[in-house]
Amino acid sequence: MPSGHPGRQAWEEDIYNHDGQNLFVIDGHMHFWDANPESWKNKYGESWIKCFYAFHSGLSPAEEVWPFEKFCRYDEETLANDLFGNGHVDMAILNSTYLYEFYKNGFNSHLQNNVIKSKYPDRFLLCGSFDPRDEEAGFDAFRRMMAEYPIQGLKLYTAEWRDGSRGWRLNDPWAYRYLALGQELGIKNIHVHKGPTVYPLSSDAFDVRDVDHAATDFPDLNFIVEHVGLPRLDDFCWIATQEPNVFAGLSVAMAFVHLRPRYFGEILANLLFWLGPDRLCFGSDYAIWSPKWLIEKFMAYELPEDLKQEYHVDLTFEIKRKILGENAARLYGIDIAAQTAKLNRDGLGGGG
Amino acid sequence: MRENVPCEFPAGCDGTAIMERLAQVLDPELDESILDLGFVRSFELRSGHAEVALRLPTSWCAVNFSYLMAEDVRRALLAVEGVHRVTVRLGDHCAAAEIEASVNNGLSFAEAFPGEAPGSLEALRRTFLRKGFLGRQERLLKGLREAGCSPATICTLRLGEVSIEDDAMIIRQPNSDPVDCGSAATLQRYLERRAELAIDCGPAAPLIVDLEGKPLSAERFQAHYEAARTVRVALEANGSFCRALLSLHRINAVGPSGPASMGGRHLQS
Repeated sequence: MPSGHPGRQAWEEDIYNHDGQNLFVIDGHMHFWDANPESWKNKYGESWIKCFYAFHSGLSPAEEVWPFEKFCRYDEETLANDLFGNGHVDMAILNSTYLYEFYKNGFNSHLQNNVIKSKYPDRFLLCGSFDPRDEEAGFDAFRRMMAEYPIQGLKLYTAEWRDGSRGWRLNDPWAYRYLALGQELGIKNIHVHKGPTVYPLSSDAFDVRDVDHAATDFPDLNFIVEHVGLPRLDDFCWIATQEPNVFAGLSVAMAFVHLRPRYFGEILANLLFWLGPDRLCFGSDYAIWSPKWLIEKFMAYELPEDLKQEYHVDLTFEIKRKILGENAARLYGIDIAAQTAKLNRDGLGGGG
Repeated sequence: MRENVPCEFPAGCDGTAIMERLAQVLDPELDESILDLGFVRSFELRSGHAEVALRLPTSWCAVNFSYLMAEDVRRALLAVEGVHRVTVRLGDHCAAAEIEASVNNGLSFAEAFPGEAPGSLEALRRTFLRKGFLGRQERLLKGLREAGCSPATICTLRLGEVSIEDDAMIIRQPNSDPVDCGSAATLQRYLERRAELAIDCGPAAPLIVDLEGKPLSAERFQAHYEAARTVRVALEANGSFCRALLSLHRINAVGPSGPASMGGRHLQS
């Protein structure tokens, strides 16, 4: 977060500048989306963003709720300010999500996200993607994406609709071909996100077991399961316990810190119990929730004593620091000291 | 209004039997009553025709679970005397048209989504009955542990040694004083699910068993408990999330809206 930021209060110095060390925050899951009504392709485009808005208004503190119009489309300046200006965030991972069947321009494709990435190149890590349903024919486009855009990770949304298909699984043979190609082209980190409607509709759409297969078969890739597999937290925990290259993306779970602090504690205690403190990565899911209040409430949060005893875990400042940035920095090979120095020069309020 | 649901019953029908049946319909994914969750938006009964409007937390709630709830509502109401026809509405759910057309005409899930849903939903339902079993058992175990029962004691308890006295669950073992181990409802919920999964509920059967109905050794107990604990947290956290979403007046809400339900009997934190 910015040192000497005009809006910064004295108490923040105590919280964020602990033992003389600043926090370094990586927002591991955020979006720069375009859900303008003009871009809605059909009723799904409308109901999708309204569903997001329900998440936003249902779990944000009242004073943080945006008007629906702003929520559909916010500008670069708003985003930069909400993350880096006021939001305590140093770097952020653009989780590209395409949804071309719902939005004429796409929801937040890597093409759209690259606009803000180009403006603040040191602030963002840009995710690309692949769709195994493109099969062989998609390899060229995938290589082109990797060559023409500064892609540092892949975001895979397995519930994406396409041409009558309602999704795919990470262990589909063609998905493996793409994962292998991504690895060959230097990709290390795969962000996996489950969604509500996946073929076949009779199976559990949120089932995370395909991640287990892929993580076993690609031991040198890291799989960051976004939203800690929610609503399948239990299944996620079993997989992550077995696979050392599976990580927990905390977005959505973070939002519980405000309205449901007890459940926030229970979720966190479980994650610390099964995965330990080195595989949990903060994410806001901006603009569903804003990092400023999430981080402030998280820093102020104390794990209830009974949970500490029950699970034999703790949530110390050191662990919070790992969750907020150090773990993601390790995944992406970011040298925090060097990066902080670089960010201090970009006028957005300095890193670290 | 019954249970916070705007209701209309014909003259002379007090609706108690109907509301009791509706209260037994669960969200299979959350293992909680749809009435407690606030998913029932309105109810009407006219000339034997019941119309139920459901209100799910978002229009993107999983299609299969939405279908199961709609189908269970229909089945539950058709079992009530005087109800001959049931129409379930799903409001602005993304698959409302397909689900309503199928459920209200007594068709299967596969028929609602031709080519997209091979097989039935029974495997899915069973997976969640099992999760619910672990969640219910964990609440029972919490009571036993808080009453000071050691894992070794817990593993030796038989169903015949547990009884319900007033609102409490009491353990009586030879040569020991009776121990109050929690609420009767916790035990009842556990036993109901246990029977549903066809696990032995006879008096000689162990109180605590795994998903296959096998007893636990004191050595296996801790790992079993840790897993059940995570399942319980996942179920409750999801339920809590759904309640938070439902508590809003959704911006695209249409028609009569009942008062926002923030709780019911299982409100947490």
